[in-house]
Amino acid sequence: MMATREGGRFSWPKGADIVLLLTAVALLLLVGLPLVYILLQAIFPHWSRGDFGDALAHVWPTLSDPSLVTLVGNTLRLGVAVVVACALLAVPLGALRALTRVPGGGLWDIVFLIPFMIPPYIAALSWMLTLQTRGYAQQLSGIEASGFLYSFSGIVFVMVLNVFPVVYFAVSRTLMSVSGRYASAARVCGAGKWRALWRVTLPLSTPGIAASLLLVFALTIEEFGTPATLGAQAGYHVLVTGIHQRFSDWPIDIPGAAVLSLLLVLLAMAAFYLQHWLVTRRSFASQTGKPVLAERAELGPWKWPVVVLFGFVGSVAVLVPLLAVLATSLSATLSSGLALDNLSLRHFEALLANRGGALKALSTSLSLALGAALLTGILGALVGYLVVRAQVRGKRLLDLLSLLPNTLPGIVVAVGLILAWNQRFWPVQVYNTSAMLLLAYTCLLLPYPVRYASAAFRQMGESLEAAARVCGAGFVTTFRRILLPTMAPSLLVSMLLVFAIASRELVASLMVAPAGMSTVSTFVFGQFEQGSPGVGMAMSAVAIFTTTALLVLLTVFTRRHLPIAG
Amino acid sequence: MSIRLRSRYTLLSLTGIALLGSGSLVYAQALTVYSAGPDALIERLAADFTAQSDIDINVFQSTTGQVMARLESERANPLADVVISASWESAVALSQEGLLHPYRSPNAESVPDFLQADDYVAQGISALALVWNRNSDTPMPTDWADMTDAVYANQVTMPDPAQSGTAFELLTGLVTAMGEEATWSLMEALVDNGMIVPGPNARALNPVLQGAKSVVFGAVDYISLGQQADGEAIEVIFPASGTVIAPRPMMILASSPMQDEAEQFIDFVLSEQGQRRVAESYLMPARSDVEAQRPTLDELTLIDVDSAAMGAQREALLARFRDVIGG
Repeated sequence: MMATREGGRFSWPKGADIVLLLTAVALLLLVGLPLVYILLQAIFPHWSRGDFGDALAHVWPTLSDPSLVTLVGNTLRLGVAVVVACALLAVPLGALRALTRVPGGGLWDIVFLIPFMIPPYIAALSWMLTLQTRGYAQQLSGIEASGFLYSFSGIVFVMVLNVFPVVYFAVSRTLMSVSGRYASAARVCGAGKWRALWRVTLPLSTPGIAASLLLVFALTIEEFGTPATLGAQAGYHVLVTGIHQRFSDWPIDIPGAAVLSLLLVLLAMAAFYLQHWLVTRRSFASQTGKPVLAERAELGPWKWPVVVLFGFVGSVAVLVPLLAVLATSLSATLSSGLALDNLSLRHFEALLANRGGALKALSTSLSLALGAALLTGILGALVGYLVVRAQVRGKRLLDLLSLLPNTLPGIVVAVGLILAWNQRFWPVQVYNTSAMLLLAYTCLLLPYPVRYASAAFRQMGESLEAAARVCGAGFVTTFRRILLPTMAPSLLVSMLLVFAIASRELVASLMVAPAGMSTVSTFVFGQFEQGSPGVGMAMSAVAIFTTTALLVLLTVFTRRHLPIAG
Repeated sequence: MSIRLRSRYTLLSLTGIALLGSGSLVYAQALTVYSAGPDALIERLAADFTAQSDIDINVFQSTTGQVMARLESERANPLADVVISASWESAVALSQEGLLHPYRSPNAESVPDFLQADDYVAQGISALALVWNRNSDTPMPTDWADMTDAVYANQVTMPDPAQSGTAFELLTGLVTAMGEEATWSLMEALVDNGMIVPGPNARALNPVLQGAKSVVFGAVDYISLGQQADGEAIEVIFPASGTVIAPRPMMILASSPMQDEAEQFIDFVLSEQGQRRVAESYLMPARSDVEAQRPTLDELTLIDVDSAAMGAQREALLARFRDVIGG
């Protein structure tokens, strides 16, 4: 319908309407539908049974719970603390990586991608095993820090180590594409190195940095693993743990959980508008498509201090959790501690014997993660374009919709998906097939490519598309030949993130995995629940090393195209 | 040109592989079992059953909370045929809502009467215990009240009764045996002595395994018995003053289109072969005539809990518990 109005709009490449219409429909189906079902569930408590009675009966009792104020306050405090700490840690690291010749270069990108492949609850558990009384640190060096670990600072510490790479990658990618020409221009006009950085390069990178900090905020208020593992002992409860409690305590209170989830969504919307206000006040277009010669400063005498800094962050964020995972998986029993005669491969043997379908779970997770990365990549690029360029009404809504999954706890998305897709009226049965997992991952992780892509479009001048149009290219050609290659660096990084996170997603997987199918994370979770932490850690180790190896191979084979290898 | 084409095909075929690999496995005629039981147990039971009957089984294995959340969100179009829960109350509640298919298995004859009803029956039984780390500096405890002793200061964990059905059973057991006030003073004394309540069962147990803490107050016995058999330096102690049991109910959903097959599965789990599998997981078999590999109902001092009455007080008990540990 819309595609027939060709030539009606000059600013709009041919064929764009139909593609963008399809994109909007996909977004509504993926994100809007489960959200609507959750909303209905919050309003009509018996909705899942097809009954409209007692409308709004749950809203007030849930909202008038006096502990709610504490939960909301704790959630906000945690979100803000993690954002600030991430900015302090990752902005300097990202800037150093983008603007100077850090020895090791692209290697650090791979190192800092690993925290994504360590599931948050495994990371939290690793820190517990390391820092608690009689933990690994005490067994090795007498250091014990359970007081720190089970406190607000401890929770922030572990969460920052989980999510700081989001900011690191955003900052380094954005600065790489912004720096060069503009900084040079500033230098020509007489600005010093620092002045050029502070007055030109950093301000121009605001969209990318702000978007990544927003992501961190959303990820933090949505994260379940760390607050659940450390928060109970610290006496620090947040909204998400409250939501989970309503979902897993008998009797199950889905309407109450839905109401709390909507509160979380409101918090995230507030953050979204703050970020939106920050990045749309002025234009940040700084990319013309002309090749930028990355001009990186020599570090000179600062070389070694910088390497030590990178190494320190890398070992705290990556090495400590990995070693704790390995130590646990290689110990015959947890109670015998770190001792040579306690060294055993029995947990790995149990895996190899395919106990509980370990290998099948691994291949399921990897192929689903690949599928999710490709789907979200394509969709994310299109949605990003739609949100930044399209002159259609309701695009703010689409923008918001594409961010919302990041604020929705995984369990809420999962329940929304079940409510939406487990209905008899669908012609094809989607529920109880692996397609549900793909839908869940795509929905939950779509915000990454969208954020990265829309930040890239904001920095891209419209002249590129105008030029393509003048040369007679339609939308599909323009998108594929001009837009995709220009934003490929950002988009690929976000797809790698999607792959890494999808390969270990736990909370939604537990809910929607079809009967008879397990993923890496549901397998690991089951092992912990059944009292076999050794086997669980062995599986985690295998998964972390497999996904890391895959990513390293990918970067080696496509060295020229992947930004991650620098 | 050819390079561009190739990359496009690579992308397409990758998508294809990913979609195929994740395979839309639609099982045509298989029995769907939602199980909160031990992972290895349900797998062995399913494999044995399939070998014997040629009926395939799809298992969704998780915690009781997850299983129930899934049942609740599938209300519009239920998919499970058989549900095995770790919480007796959940079966009582589903039965009261009329969601269960009545069935008395012929193999249930030697299952004690209090472990079966018209539409649900126990698969196996676990009991609540103290789990103590042998390598700790504390003496081996013998009873619940020992945990208030100064030797155990800051050395005790307890699973959260809100998140662990079995820990809730223990709370109701203590209330039944000692009365409300004595139970809450015991809890207050425990909290004063530094007891922590870190979450569901596994989270209470792990600190004790590594030695950060010494005793779990109210652990599920079969998990720890299994770990002990695997060489962990722990002891499972059933308090002399009495403990509670947590029978694990099996039920057939009334909405199941495969009730014959579901009944066959229940028969199989209650057969001698099936009950021996249950025993191998260190649970007590539901049938009194199948030998257990652990202390059984006759050997334990049991507190007789009226679970229907206690279930009705659930909210109040949990609220009071939260008050005690929070304050």
